[in-house]
Amino acid sequence: MNKNTTRVLGVVAVSVLAIGTLAVSSAQGAVKSVTLVYQGPLTGTDAQTGQDELLGAKTAVQMYNDSNPAVKVNLITADDQGDGSVAGTVAPGVAANKSVVGVVGPAYSGASIASFPSYKATRLTMVSPSATRVTLTDPKSADNGFPFFHRVVGNDALQGPAVVRWSTAGIDSPKVYVIDDQTPYGTGLAQAATAYIKLKKINEVGSDSVVQKTSDYTATVAKIKASKANVVIYTGYYPDGGALAKSLNDSGWAGVFAGGDGVLNDAFIGVAGKAAAEGAKFTAPAVPFETAATDAQQAAFTKATGLKSAAGHVYVTETFNATNVFLSCIKLGKVTRAGIQNCVATGTFFALDGKTVLRFTRFGEVVGGAPVGGFQVVKGVIKYFGAV
Amino acid sequence: MNFSVVVSQFWPLLINGLALGFIYVLISLGYTMVYGVLRLINFANSEIFMVGTFATVIVSRNFFGFNQNTDPLHGFKLIYTLGACLVASMLMSGVTAVLVEIVAYRRLRAKGTNRLASLISAIGVSIILQEGVRILTNSIPYSNPRLLKKVYVVHAGPIELRNDTILVIVFAAILFFLVDRFVSKTLLGKAIRAVSMSEETSKLMGINLNRVISATFLIGGMMTGAAAFLYETVYENTKYNVGFSIGLAAFTAAVLGGIGNLRGAFYGGLALGLLEEFAAAILGTQWKAVTVFLVLVLVLLFKPNGLFGEAVQQTRV
Repeated sequence: MNKNTTRVLGVVAVSVLAIGTLAVSSAQGAVKSVTLVYQGPLTGTDAQTGQDELLGAKTAVQMYNDSNPAVKVNLITADDQGDGSVAGTVAPGVAANKSVVGVVGPAYSGASIASFPSYKATRLTMVSPSATRVTLTDPKSADNGFPFFHRVVGNDALQGPAVVRWSTAGIDSPKVYVIDDQTPYGTGLAQAATAYIKLKKINEVGSDSVVQKTSDYTATVAKIKASKANVVIYTGYYPDGGALAKSLNDSGWAGVFAGGDGVLNDAFIGVAGKAAAEGAKFTAPAVPFETAATDAQQAAFTKATGLKSAAGHVYVTETFNATNVFLSCIKLGKVTRAGIQNCVATGTFFALDGKTVLRFTRFGEVVGGAPVGGFQVVKGVIKYFGAV
Repeated sequence: MNFSVVVSQFWPLLINGLALGFIYVLISLGYTMVYGVLRLINFANSEIFMVGTFATVIVSRNFFGFNQNTDPLHGFKLIYTLGACLVASMLMSGVTAVLVEIVAYRRLRAKGTNRLASLISAIGVSIILQEGVRILTNSIPYSNPRLLKKVYVVHAGPIELRNDTILVIVFAAILFFLVDRFVSKTLLGKAIRAVSMSEETSKLMGINLNRVISATFLIGGMMTGAAAFLYETVYENTKYNVGFSIGLAAFTAAVLGGIGNLRGAFYGGLALGLLEEFAAAILGTQWKAVTVFLVLVLVLLFKPNGLFGEAVQQTRV
């Protein structure tokens, strides 16, 4: 190869490199919009939870897009029905959509576990507003979503003790009966609650494990009555929790019916009926949107959803926060999956109130935990009683 | 294992097991009667039950305008409303069953296809009905307003009976008795039994096969509809897949008693209801299904025709 040829090749190589660099930067500059996915139960028996959470995601995206950002955000949805078997078929489609840079969700723990393989393989970051099973962020567990899964809520290790404290508050000699629904969420929360019961030497008079979609709870009710329990903690979701509460009430049992965030839903009152629902207590690592939002945020909520208030809708604040984690990164110019992942893992974000700092541990847990709120049905309406 | 609960809660468990068992009895009639005449497992029967539950909810909510805030009814209004719900549920389920027979099975039968085709057709109809209702209702569970105030009306020592439990047991027992009498005493009942014994001979005897089969589907569907009404009176909730687990249980009851045998369905339904209740109490609810199917497998190992399949052959439909 003579000198001239070498020079020509050198010039060509430099030119190609320069054109390539220009092309890449112009392509990056051309990014006008990216897509976020909300994943949760939008149909199915648990649809109310997903529909409620979607309100928070819509509000955050509406506020962001109204601020005339350089990169607009499209919000699309992935309906996993809160069911792991459905999530396992939905997640590959989400993962394959190259315009998607982040998943707000999954909402449920079982659905999260089923989605992890797809999202890990395609380096898609998740920020869940409500999946609380401990193992999701436990590095020793095979179920963990490291390094792509994060959550803005406290896990069941916090909620388990809280549901015991809140359900037994004001009862002199509590006799607790714990029932799980055999789901990853339900069994995890029941274990956390039972561990706290043992730690505090509270009288646990029995336990049961009832598969989801059970219609007849009479055997369980008979056992509860035989145990003389005055507190029943149900760690499942509201369609089954409502049916169990109704069956208990119809049997004449008078005690405190309690549950975690899976049962916290206005639809619980519809399934249980007003009489059975009255006085029921719930916990959730959640703050009602209407109690924490500013006037501007309330106005944005109405604009985005067409609803006057978020009252009665769960996890709106937490979904707003989870969505804002992604939006903060996009505002910083992070528009690729890798950029988003690095930003979410290392960044500092703010919750709805503009003061509470959100940062994630290496394994996706929110630093410092998150408060667990106490709720109760009072005169047919679920009321918030602050952190418990 | 918790045997102490059986000691302290024996009567509630027994009564609740019987009530659940009687609901199984009525649903299992839908399976067993159809099997008797066609040797076909009508998998769509669980969806015929689901249709019945929705008929009850629609009549009480949309026709009468009741909702969750409505006070329970009393006197004539209660009887009239419950009666309307019952009739609607039985009619809707009965008509659906006949339509299923005409659309899904009759043509296959006329073409002389094998039983496997009918079985697939039954599963197909079941899925179409369930998914159709799922789409129409957006998968949301529907609550039935409380029409009957639930109160304990019998207090005799450890035995306490609630009015809805009494309604289920008494009404289901009467219905079963009527169907049993109908099949054994009336002309149409005799025709049904004749078809179940030999289709070919029945034809030679001048029996209109299609009419008899449609009547069988209608009666089985109406009994399933009655069970749906009773289910709604007790549990007051329904959803698109409400029939799946209860239908499976009723089918199991029919097999346990001896499928194709009316009285077998009766004993099988009651046995299953009691078995489920006591297994859940003693072993834990998570072991209920395991126990039930273990017992079923053991029974079939020793008595392949079910508990009462051979003993009461003469009552076969």
